Amino acid sequence: MDFPKIKSEAVADWERFRNNQKTHILVGTATCGRAAGAIDVLDTLMQKIEQRGIDAEIAQVGCMGHCYAEPLVIISKPGSPAIIYGYVTTGMASVLVDNCLLKDDPCLEFALGALEENELIPTIYDMPRFEYENRLILRNCGDIDPQNINHYIVNGGYAALESIFKMTQEDVIDQIKKSGLRGRGGGGFSTGQKWEITKNAGGKSTYVICNADEGDPGAFMDRAVLESDPHSVIEGMIIAAYAVGAAQGYVYVRAEYPLAVETVQHAIDQAKDMGFLGQSIMGSKFNFEIEVFRGSGAFVCGEETALIASIEGKRGMPHNRPPYPATEGLFGMPTVVNNVKTFATVPLIIENGADWFSAIGTESSKGTAVFALAGKVVNTGLVEVPMGTTLRNVINDVGGGVPHHKKFKAVQIGGPSGGCLPESALDLPVDFDSLKEAGAIFGSGGMVVLDEDNCMVEAARYFLDFTQKESCGKCTMCRLGTKHMLDMLQEIVNGNGKMEYLELLTDLAEDIEEGSLCALGKTAPNPVLTTLRYFHDEYEAHIIEKRCPALQCKNLIAYYILPDKCERSCDACVGVCTAEAIFSGKKRIKVVDQDKCVKCDTCVAACPPEYNAIIRMSPASSVPETEKRPEKAKK
Amino acid sequence: MQPITISLNGREVSGKQGMTILELAREMGVDIPTLCDDPNLTPIGACRICLVENEQNGDLLASCVTPIETGMVISTQSERVIVHRKTIVKLMLASHPDSCLVCNKGNTCTLRRVATDVGVGMIEFERIADAVEIEQLNPFIERDLSKCVLCAKCIRADQELVVVGAIDYFNRGFDAKPATFGDVPLEQSECTFCGTCVAMCPTGAIMDRGRSYHGTASDEVETTCAYCGCGCSISLGLKGDRIIAITPSKKGGPNNGTLCVRGTCASDVIHSADRLTQPMLRQEEELAPASWLDAIEAAAEGFKRVKGLHGPEALAVISSSTCTNEENYLLQRFTRDVLGTNNIDSSARLHNAVNRAALASTIGIMGANSDLDGLEQSDVIIVVGADPDASAPIVSYAIKRAVKYCGAKLILIDPRETGLSTFADIHIRPDYGTDAALLGGMAKAIVDEGLLDEKTVVEKTNNYDGLKASLSKYTAGSAAIEAAHLYAKANSASIVWGTGLTQHAGGADSVRALINLAILTNQTSGLYALEKECNDRGAFTEPLQGFSALEMIEQIEKGAIKSMLIVGENPILAFPDSGRVEKALSLLECLVVSDMFLTETALIADVVLSSSSFAEKEGTYTNFEGRVGKLNTAIDPIAGSLPDWNIILKLAEAMGSPMPFDDINQVSDEITALVGNESKSGPASFAPVDYVAPSDDTNKEYPFKLLTVSDLYSLGSGTSISHSYRLNKYTSEVYVEIAEEDASKLDIKDGDQVKIATPVGELTAIAKVSDSIPTGTIAIPQTLPTGSANVLFDITLDNETKTSLAKTCNVSLEKVVSNG
Repeated sequence: MDFPKIKSEAVADWERFRNNQKTHILVGTATCGRAAGAIDVLDTLMQKIEQRGIDAEIAQVGCMGHCYAEPLVIISKPGSPAIIYGYVTTGMASVLVDNCLLKDDPCLEFALGALEENELIPTIYDMPRFEYENRLILRNCGDIDPQNINHYIVNGGYAALESIFKMTQEDVIDQIKKSGLRGRGGGGFSTGQKWEITKNAGGKSTYVICNADEGDPGAFMDRAVLESDPHSVIEGMIIAAYAVGAAQGYVYVRAEYPLAVETVQHAIDQAKDMGFLGQSIMGSKFNFEIEVFRGSGAFVCGEETALIASIEGKRGMPHNRPPYPATEGLFGMPTVVNNVKTFATVPLIIENGADWFSAIGTESSKGTAVFALAGKVVNTGLVEVPMGTTLRNVINDVGGGVPHHKKFKAVQIGGPSGGCLPESALDLPVDFDSLKEAGAIFGSGGMVVLDEDNCMVEAARYFLDFTQKESCGKCTMCRLGTKHMLDMLQEIVNGNGKMEYLELLTDLAEDIEEGSLCALGKTAPNPVLTTLRYFHDEYEAHIIEKRCPALQCKNLIAYYILPDKCERSCDACVGVCTAEAIFSGKKRIKVVDQDKCVKCDTCVAACPPEYNAIIRMSPASSVPETEKRPEKAKK
Repeated sequence: MQPITISLNGREVSGKQGMTILELAREMGVDIPTLCDDPNLTPIGACRICLVENEQNGDLLASCVTPIETGMVISTQSERVIVHRKTIVKLMLASHPDSCLVCNKGNTCTLRRVATDVGVGMIEFERIADAVEIEQLNPFIERDLSKCVLCAKCIRADQELVVVGAIDYFNRGFDAKPATFGDVPLEQSECTFCGTCVAMCPTGAIMDRGRSYHGTASDEVETTCAYCGCGCSISLGLKGDRIIAITPSKKGGPNNGTLCVRGTCASDVIHSADRLTQPMLRQEEELAPASWLDAIEAAAEGFKRVKGLHGPEALAVISSSTCTNEENYLLQRFTRDVLGTNNIDSSARLHNAVNRAALASTIGIMGANSDLDGLEQSDVIIVVGADPDASAPIVSYAIKRAVKYCGAKLILIDPRETGLSTFADIHIRPDYGTDAALLGGMAKAIVDEGLLDEKTVVEKTNNYDGLKASLSKYTAGSAAIEAAHLYAKANSASIVWGTGLTQHAGGADSVRALINLAILTNQTSGLYALEKECNDRGAFTEPLQGFSALEMIEQIEKGAIKSMLIVGENPILAFPDSGRVEKALSLLECLVVSDMFLTETALIADVVLSSSSFAEKEGTYTNFEGRVGKLNTAIDPIAGSLPDWNIILKLAEAMGSPMPFDDINQVSDEITALVGNESKSGPASFAPVDYVAPSDDTNKEYPFKLLTVSDLYSLGSGTSISHSYRLNKYTSEVYVEIAEEDASKLDIKDGDQVKIATPVGELTAIAKVSDSIPTGTIAIPQTLPTGSANVLFDITLDNETKTSLAKTCNVSLEKVVSNG
């Protein structure tokens, strides 16, 4: 293989893509963009450009991280700075073509910012988040066309792979060990050590598996990386395979990620065509193949032993460790199982050296952490910060804080297996160890922000409901223990809780943590334990006062129309009430018939904001006495 | 390897590397409770009851799956451990019905025992009602999954031991349960109702349906199953004088923890209401109850009268493969010493003579010379003319385990698709009766392609040149060549064969052809001749000068034999051409039949003696491996019955020549003293086979080839097992498999009633259109719920072995009634 030649061809391709002589339009079409309508925007742009006969190149890129503002379009016109536009609709797309491309109006009203220094508008890098972000894993995401391997190569891709063939397997493993890289899937086990054990296990064959079975509600880091920069993962896998002597690899990706499946498969085919995969990789004696295996949507298959069982054609159920996959994994052979982000980090370490990597992050947790920010936060999307950044920085500075002037209440880290941390924990640095002490886990990187309108008991119930339903059912603790916990939580949010439940919940949670077979069971009680620890008052309010402080639990709230605020002739709430529970009382002031109200919240939304007359009250009994609906006169 | 030392409850103990904590603890006599552990199953760590604490780091470990590691400080009884165990049991009990008082599992419930042992007190968890319907459609297994603790023993038994694959985990979370594919009822699944899971279930979730609410067994007796040639070690659970549970023996045996549906139904037969409870005598054309004294006297008088009038050669005895070795020995002595004739043969001839002839003439053994473990450890297995799924279930389990878990290659030689087809690497479907040619072709491939150590073969065997010369007329197809390569290159190869090979004309030659293969490749220790009945191997003896069983029928017709004693056999159903046999037997001046039931043969007897079942006597059976299985008396003989050995002694006494035995052990001792080592030493001899291709003798009137096959839910002549009300309920119809092409030609659809006829008989059956048999062929089970396929066969004897050719015959087929 002539790598220099491939590189120079890639540069030429890139130049065509990014030269300054022509107008370029980039549309973010990862799943986050598509969900917001990016494909329609792309179609509109292409049609319009053709109609207007404009000479411009349109390309699709992956996720830029600003998922809150999707669909995102970047326009770079010769002579003016590249500008990124957010919340683009098809209508806006037409306007952009007509005004920005045809004329010289940069449409700054749609712009999020520029991508380079200029005199017109600030760049997006002036946003406070960029002070904290350090995009290593996401280095290419949103910048390159994920379907084009040349884009990856130009940005340094496959250079690391080229260099390892001058190294021994041990050298590669040493580099990774020295870098201090720990598994990004949540376990935080030393990647280099895992590879070393696998290599030394001495099986007849060895496997490398990329775990892309991202199942946490609200987490989408792995999807974004696979959709936006698949080659970084593939290169990492090849390096791992070389280090441990594997000939076959699998990307285990959820079937619910169709775009990721397609993108990775395409990337594998390309890499194979160019000689980065397959026989005699890059002219070496090393052979390695990668197959995409689609998971069928079981959360537990993110657990490595269950994932392996699933590839083997069995029901995805975990088994006891030891034996660990590193010694007895797929088909009983030594197997490396690493997360998408771990593999994506590997080429950087090889290229820049272990010391470079270990200079980033904290003493025990090196490198960066990628979070999928979701929930009640302004800038939902992907963020990547060095390990050790505080939660406050991540949520308030990078994430832009809680929207609508609401009060921050908690952040759920690590998905349903993680914990809910309160305001007081926000100064904790994010790394593998600090979070554990606080009762949460680093997890795979899901971060859901909750505000004052979220009921913490309900939040715990929600996450436990998820893990209970996703429990594989194998071990008693997880199958039955979580069910009993869930039932107790259900009773509490229904207003039928008892105080002894709290002790029982704690005891049972500890039993499940200690006694379950796999990590799903061992971590399932975390949301309950952390909410009990930090939001005990909410539990007590539910049980003793039958009150939901967040005014969320339906059984504990009632709707009340404030007579002073009701605009008597408006009738908006009466019209929308599906249960016919609102009637006009004396002087046409609207009244809620509590017996009929189904608490659907529609009236609150319908009541014009200038009146804001409908409120929720908890406990339900706190609603003042109201007049009764007049009996209908019999005809 | 260095032993690993750990601290166990403060004691230094060591074990082998790879051993689990539980295994070591058991070895050291430390009890750790478990629900999901079973020595025959892969441990999975599901129930968590066996948690122990590693005090070194505070970890709680499931001892059944955690290997011992140097330095561990294990406590099996720490406070934390006890608390956890209690929690687990409480969790289970909180969603378990309160029906212990009426649950059949009763005192044998492991969950209840563990709950008591760990001292579960008040359960603080709210009850979760689990409204599961009790499934009770099939007559064998009843599932009440509200009692399930999901230990997954049933799933593992199904997948790891019997390899049926009928059940697996279903659903997730609290709804997880063991279920069939799509959660259909068991009878719509692959389930064979083998009962292995029933025996393993720690709670009352899976129960034997026939014996529900009969209470708990108070005693257990180990014995040997009588319902096929495998001779499984079973344990009969007793409550008073009733057998209320049948489970696999805990001591292993050939079945090693497994069972089959016939074995689980044995108690139905033993306690059948149809059992004869007293002897009967023919008085004025009618059989009437009689006392033992009168019946024995009448039988003896009959024999004496015939002997006096026509001489001893007018007497004959037919014994059975279902009689014990001791009984068969006694009958031999009775016939020769007391009656004074050599006319004794056993029904075992029908199943066993071919194998005996072929094996004796080549490698000098009497049957299989290796056990099932050897079969399971083979890396290549050939199954030819056998459907062990139906005829020898535990053999099928072993083959499937070998294929699925040990990577063995399976070569299946059978015209039909059988339960083994999906496990086979190569499935060759030869025409009927051409097995010898196929096997000859394989032998030729081995010789031609040099897949043998010719020098050793020449040195260590006889007649290699003769064999080589005989092979020239064979050719081998590509599948046969591939099979020959696999077989010849195996480290350890086995051949399993059954009636599909032996019940054709020249069956012994077909068996010789496969023995030749084994001798060529030095694999003679892997020859497994399957037997049909429980004591085929033990009951068969070469008659000394006397007539063989089927020849006796001819002799009756000729008037040479005038009186007969038939013990444990029902020739009218068991022999071909039922009509002719019945006619012949009714010519006898004195017919004495000893049986548990009033069989077709007993009905025409002059004296009927009511005999006992295998559970009511002592003795031994020799299974197909050559393993001698001990029978132990579980219950006293059912009122009015006596064991056959006792009947024979009484007859001898009444004849005036008492035999010198008081009990069965004295008979065993005499046999042991007489019988030496049965195997012949010396080099193996090749037996060149003079193969004659079967001519297609189907004709216009009888255009179809009928094939008799084995059926899991019936056995032998069906006489005994047909008295299981559960088996009867499950297969009450006669089904005939018809190839799709033939069915469409004759406009026959699934469920239509069809008539099958031969020159000697006819029967009606329900059509089952199938793609698993070749065109031009129809298949029915040998044993039918309403009788036997033997009604269709005439008595054609194999020249060499005098067995009947009851595998195929030409039949006509027509539709009688359309289904709906």
